[in-house]
Amino acid sequence: MERITIKERDDWKSQAEALGFNFHTMYGEPYWDESACYRFSLRQIEDDIEDPTGEIEQLCFQVVARAVESEEIMAKLAIPEFYWDYVRASWLNQDRNLYGRLDLSYSGTGPAKLLEYNADTPTALYESAAFQWLWLEQALEREIIPAGCDQFNSIHERMVEAFANFGIAGCLHLASCKGSDEDEGTVRYVEECAVQAGLETAFLHIEDIGIDPNGHFTDLDDMGIATLFKLYPWEWMMTDEFGKSIPESGVTFIEPAWKAVLSNKALLPLLWEMFEGHPNLLPAYFADDPRIAELEGGYVRKPIFSREGANVEMVRPGEPSLSVDGPYGAEGSIIQALQPLPTFEGNHTVIGSWLVASQPSGVCIREDDSPITKDSSRFLPHVIYG
Amino acid sequence: MKRSRSLKLALMSASVLTLTACDNSEDVAIFETLEQCVNQDGFSREACEANMQSAKQEHVRVAPKYTSAADCEADFGPEQCETAPQQTTSGGSVFMPLMMGYMMGNMLAGPSRVATQPLYRSKDNPGNFRTADNQKVSGKTGLSKAPSSATKPPTAKTRTVRRNGFGSTAARSAGRVRSFGG
Repeated sequence: MERITIKERDDWKSQAEALGFNFHTMYGEPYWDESACYRFSLRQIEDDIEDPTGEIEQLCFQVVARAVESEEIMAKLAIPEFYWDYVRASWLNQDRNLYGRLDLSYSGTGPAKLLEYNADTPTALYESAAFQWLWLEQALEREIIPAGCDQFNSIHERMVEAFANFGIAGCLHLASCKGSDEDEGTVRYVEECAVQAGLETAFLHIEDIGIDPNGHFTDLDDMGIATLFKLYPWEWMMTDEFGKSIPESGVTFIEPAWKAVLSNKALLPLLWEMFEGHPNLLPAYFADDPRIAELEGGYVRKPIFSREGANVEMVRPGEPSLSVDGPYGAEGSIIQALQPLPTFEGNHTVIGSWLVASQPSGVCIREDDSPITKDSSRFLPHVIYG
Repeated sequence: MKRSRSLKLALMSASVLTLTACDNSEDVAIFETLEQCVNQDGFSREACEANMQSAKQEHVRVAPKYTSAADCEADFGPEQCETAPQQTTSGGSVFMPLMMGYMMGNMLAGPSRVATQPLYRSKDNPGNFRTADNQKVSGKTGLSKAPSSATKPPTAKTRTVRRNGFGSTAARSAGRVRSFGG
């Protein structure tokens, strides 16, 4: 694994804009960054990322199976009691899931370590599946990278395939929050995958969802919603006013409610409790666990619900602790042993490993100037070569 | 190769897509009239009448609705629409296509998972029956197969009593948040 400085395509910005990838630059800072790329060997990709990703997904399934049968664990996950039966039913019915992203710390040697699982509302999908793919094709064509380069990225193909197999009847509605170009862009891309799978689709904002006198959710044309892809976290759905109508609404949600168990930092101590010593896991504990004192190499405190690095605190031996502000943390925190991200030319690099319908399907690389990956991180493409 | 073989970046027109091979199909029976149903071997008059009646009731509920006859005819053809019993909130007329047939389970194929429902013929594809959800089924009457996605109860136009019941948690935690995903 290495970071290689390369020539940018001179027209990438105009291409990004033509494709609707408008958030390539944010707050005046680059987000899509092709001034360098990461190179992996095929062995690194297959043995160190792809296989462990599939394995971690299986471990996660065992956590879900256990959690939905335990009131104690459901309480630790801060899932409101009102939804326990609903979450359990969504697991026992084997409601299908679409996608997720594991964030891994990996330096090219040794086992990749799971930092967290964005199982419910992962973004960076479009740039991983489509724009990164396009970059590879054009970089090969323009001889920016050597012939024979490949990429671990069948995300698009798998997404279309997954939608085709979902058994969705009628219209698929897709929703994101108002006010985030990035989220809406991600959902528009998911919609495109669904259309390419032959589905009929309709986009709306999550705020515009209505309810009819029978407690069924409606779109802006007053049509009943039967299947809803929502880029909006389950824990928020459950606290919103309409949440109480979810169990009786008859709506098939993507992601399904059981993903609330996985997209929750409490997953990390639960995984460690069940599979302590697994090479791809880091020691992790609930915040009141005395074993935290044994974490001599430092630790990271993460709120149970948190995104984009917000409210994360890093405690490092012999160094000042680092923290990121944010709105999260009211539901409690967990502690994870510190596994600093590897640095490449001063950049802290995290690997996102994608699952589509629970199959490992590709990777994305994000770099940050800080050891905590935040929403100011940059996205870099990767190649498999050698 | 560990990447997608090809990637269509432009939105494709839905009309060129066909149903996937993985989709399960169901045994269905399609009729335009009660007599066609009664004359089908193994179908009782009683069941035919009951199913036709239930399709007619569904028709009022699930047929695509329009606030102008011209819009309805643009989709279903001249004189292929009728006035629906519903009214708009301001008291205006509502139009819907004529029911051209109905679909029910094949009574010879054992217990059926097919939701009995009305069928329509659209102006741009008059050769096929379509469900209220615009799912294509066979063009012919009698016994046939239909994708299981077309045999579920159609989603219906309903009445929204309130909106803005989702999104408030996001609004509370906004501020500098760029994405609500992650």
